[in-house]
Amino acid sequence: MQVFIAQIINGLSLGSIYVLLVTGFNLLLLVAMIIHFAYPQVVVFSMYISWWVLRATGNNIFLGVVAGIGSAIIFNLISAPLFQKVMKKREGVDINTTMVLSLGMGMIITDILSHGFNKGLPIAFPKEVVGDTSVLRIGLIDVSNGQIYSLAVGIIAVSLLFWLLYKTRAGRAFRAIAEDPNGAKLVGIPLFRTALGSYAITGVLGGVTALLLAVLLGTASPGMGEQVANKVLAVSIIAGLGNLTGGLIVGLLLGILEAIVQGYIPGSWANAVAFVVMLVVILVKPKGIFGMKL
Amino acid sequence: MSLPLYYYLAITAIYILMSWAIYLPYRVAHLHFLVVANMAISGYLAAYMVMTLHLSFWVALITGFLVGGLIGFIVAQFIGDAPTFAVVIVGFTFIYITRTVIENTKAVGGTMGIFGLPSIMGNPALHRWIILIILYSLVLIVGFLIYRFDHSRLGRAASAIFVDKNIAMSFGVDVKKIGILLQTFSSFIAGGCGVLYGFIYKSFHLDYFTFHLIGIFMTVIFVGGYRTQWGVVVAAPILYGLPLLFPPEVASWRIVIYGTLLIMVLVLKPEGFITRKLVYKIEKKLSYLIHRRGVRI
Repeated sequence: MQVFIAQIINGLSLGSIYVLLVTGFNLLLLVAMIIHFAYPQVVVFSMYISWWVLRATGNNIFLGVVAGIGSAIIFNLISAPLFQKVMKKREGVDINTTMVLSLGMGMIITDILSHGFNKGLPIAFPKEVVGDTSVLRIGLIDVSNGQIYSLAVGIIAVSLLFWLLYKTRAGRAFRAIAEDPNGAKLVGIPLFRTALGSYAITGVLGGVTALLLAVLLGTASPGMGEQVANKVLAVSIIAGLGNLTGGLIVGLLLGILEAIVQGYIPGSWANAVAFVVMLVVILVKPKGIFGMKL
Repeated sequence: MSLPLYYYLAITAIYILMSWAIYLPYRVAHLHFLVVANMAISGYLAAYMVMTLHLSFWVALITGFLVGGLIGFIVAQFIGDAPTFAVVIVGFTFIYITRTVIENTKAVGGTMGIFGLPSIMGNPALHRWIILIILYSLVLIVGFLIYRFDHSRLGRAASAIFVDKNIAMSFGVDVKKIGILLQTFSSFIAGGCGVLYGFIYKSFHLDYFTFHLIGIFMTVIFVGGYRTQWGVVVAAPILYGLPLLFPPEVASWRIVIYGTLLIMVLVLKPEGFITRKLVYKIEKKLSYLIHRRGVRI
């Protein structure tokens, strides 16, 4: 029973990471109308930039945080014109072209990380950054500060995002474009400028996710982005593409499922079980459990 | 024949066949990445049959084709008419699951892989020639079948689905059946390619079947031109051959080069270099020249 509870806690902190990633992915899909398959790879890239700045500045955490978030925003904004150029029609999502473009970006990022940083070996964050200090211990249940940070920051970030979407003018513009791009254009909402705003917000979310991953895991590797990208896309499809609330629920559930399986099944089989579950759900319900918002 | 030439010709043929295996389902806007998992499954199965069960290469090759086709057919029952992103994610998850199963299965060498596959007919030089003959025969057969498909009613139906699935359905096109047909055939090709890929190197390792492979095939299709089969024929030898001429420090960055090329082509020349218009002009010119020669004779 203690193992079960411990894994639920692990799952919630991991799930909060997935929720942040899926929320950013869905936001880009709804407002910028792109499928950014390489979004998790951008997050891993931000982790590497943060690590590099920490090493260069003698573990200056403030600069590491700024570098992590800043690099994600800059990368997203640089890629915005590329996506906008390849989209055939702004009124709908050009799934094929934007997905292929983001696959290309993912290839580039993964290979640069394999060659350009730490000779392709996994990186490890300094002890001051990694949140592995035990805050609460009851038998086998061990809650670390990293888990608390990821859960707390995840809740705050998603709450802020929902506040932005539902309580601000900018959020109303986002929702208007997501609902009906033509109608939004008619009432004078600038599509490209608003889409750029979504790239920037997703960049902030991505940077925050990168920092949380650094705190929670303490390491990163070039191939991490591909695996996470697969899970993020799977969660989005299972929840229903563009469904923010659905993504929240399924992201948390996936985190909990993975953690519980890892607690009882050894090694890499745990990952395979999570993928099998996702595969079965997608095969049975290719349009998602909660329905697509596209 | 020199070894470098053998590897160049063999791998180019694999690239052509596998890129066609992805090109076919993409005719109905499906990015069918399951083909890489098909390669791995059929390849490892063939290696196991040859090394452990001591069956002949030919039995293993035919089994590889059939197993690939069977897996493609079964999965296509569920995703034959699914949205593109669902097909993509099914492919990716299959690759992860396949890699995990192979990694943890000692019978197929686990993370070490399988090495020391025997030469066909027991002779290394004959082995290389046989592999090349099989590969290029496949290129001709598959190329011919794709050409007939593209110029048939089925090909036109596939084009209609690519442009607008709903309008295609309203014209009576059975979207699911065409999706199943294309996915099954593409998995069939991939199964055979998986067996041959391993027998080119006489070994099987998980590093042969990675996501980089998907990136390479995507680059071949989109840079060559995704609207016709000829783009793959032109792009595969160039994209595989050029990095071999670069100095090693540059060649090691070839995935970055492929990714950059893919993005540049999507932004600047979305249809690729070999477009349908170009192929049509060439076909017209060729038929005019043949006709003129015919009249002279």
